[in-house]
Amino acid sequence: MAETLRRVLNQGSSAESGEEYTAEAGPPLLLLGGPGSGKTALLFAAALEAAGEGRGPVLFLTRRPLQSLPRGTGAALDPLRLQKIRFQYPPSTHELLQLLCSAHEALGPAPSLLLLDGLEEYLVEDSQEAAYLAALLLDTAAHFSHRTGPGQGCGLIVALQIQEEEESGDGLQLSLLQRYFPAQCWLQVDAPGPGQRGLRACLDSGGLSPRAEWWVAFRPDGEMTITPWPTQSGNPNSDKGSSSGGQP
Amino acid sequence: MRVRRADVTAPRSALGRWRESSWGRSERRASWALEEATGLSRHGGRPDGSHAARCRRGTPERDGRGGAGGGAKLKFIFGPSAIQALDLVDRQSITLISSPSGRRVYQVLGSSGETYTCLASCHYCSCPAFAFSVLRKSDSLLCKHLLAVYVSQVMRTCRQLKVSDKQLTDILFTKKKQM
Repeated sequence: MAETLRRVLNQGSSAESGEEYTAEAGPPLLLLGGPGSGKTALLFAAALEAAGEGRGPVLFLTRRPLQSLPRGTGAALDPLRLQKIRFQYPPSTHELLQLLCSAHEALGPAPSLLLLDGLEEYLVEDSQEAAYLAALLLDTAAHFSHRTGPGQGCGLIVALQIQEEEESGDGLQLSLLQRYFPAQCWLQVDAPGPGQRGLRACLDSGGLSPRAEWWVAFRPDGEMTITPWPTQSGNPNSDKGSSSGGQP
Repeated sequence: MRVRRADVTAPRSALGRWRESSWGRSERRASWALEEATGLSRHGGRPDGSHAARCRRGTPERDGRGGAGGGAKLKFIFGPSAIQALDLVDRQSITLISSPSGRRVYQVLGSSGETYTCLASCHYCSCPAFAFSVLRKSDSLLCKHLLAVYVSQVMRTCRQLKVSDKQLTDILFTKKKQM
């Protein structure tokens, strides 16, 4: 669902609204970042964005209920939008697989967006099982797309927490997941100065659109503001810290 | 590869004549279909030399004798699984299972008698070869079951099985036991 995320990120930057609106879901997206890098917040912002489009409900899967709803950009916390987000909390991999396998049995309108937060909590050591989980996520989204009909489609965004120092085992699983998710968005915490909390988001749609970067800042009240990353990202500013790049 | 010149009903191209001589009917159809799908050239190459040698020669020329262009390219790209996949198609080993919801999944009866589940929308097969060669070692693009599924998709021929929504859930969910 790279396009939805891109719209979220572009919207926050009050960029030109002449950007044409496409209902296409875009490729499935993997959202990567370390702990506390804002993945849940961005995921929720994408949920609100999709809910506002009025195409169908949004299915948000996560292991634990969100303690507090992340503040979105602007007044996006519209109760009507919130009503369209269906939360489900599969407690284990077994339940998640069961949920995905039985997704076609559910009645009612098909979701327009499928979100999964915390994939790392459901992954197992066995690479074939991990591949099956990723493949089932894609298959479920494809089935929802099929049900919503041509021109629309169901997007898929999955958030995965990665450690800063990657061990060899994690590296193998990550490359396995990257096979199934052509688009990736890397989030890296980047605090330019004391008292400021922010992160850098780098979206790579796997060649369909140019790679783009944004700077996401969190105000003290929790509200998110998004601005495009300055184009001179190749020249690190002295106060920007070590921006070694979120993408390996 | 001997080419029978008495094949008057055979297609005129060199590749066509080679096919008539050495392949079964569904293999020929599969080869044509896969060529359409993958855009491989229809022109035949020289019958001698290895597959790799044929490909090193660059653009294959059409010649009057038997050629093995399409089949050789298939084998070169997909490895030995190409012939095994065509064999599976020939034996009607692929079943497309669908339910009233519209969700679909493929099942392939492998040569060992085991049934493997392949997803329709993305690259996944429950066979051990997929886990090893494709996922772990990245040696191959596909396993033979997935290749057979794609060939049968292009040819639009495979067994069809209709099940209920609940049964489809069970098929998707219990495939774990095969691993």
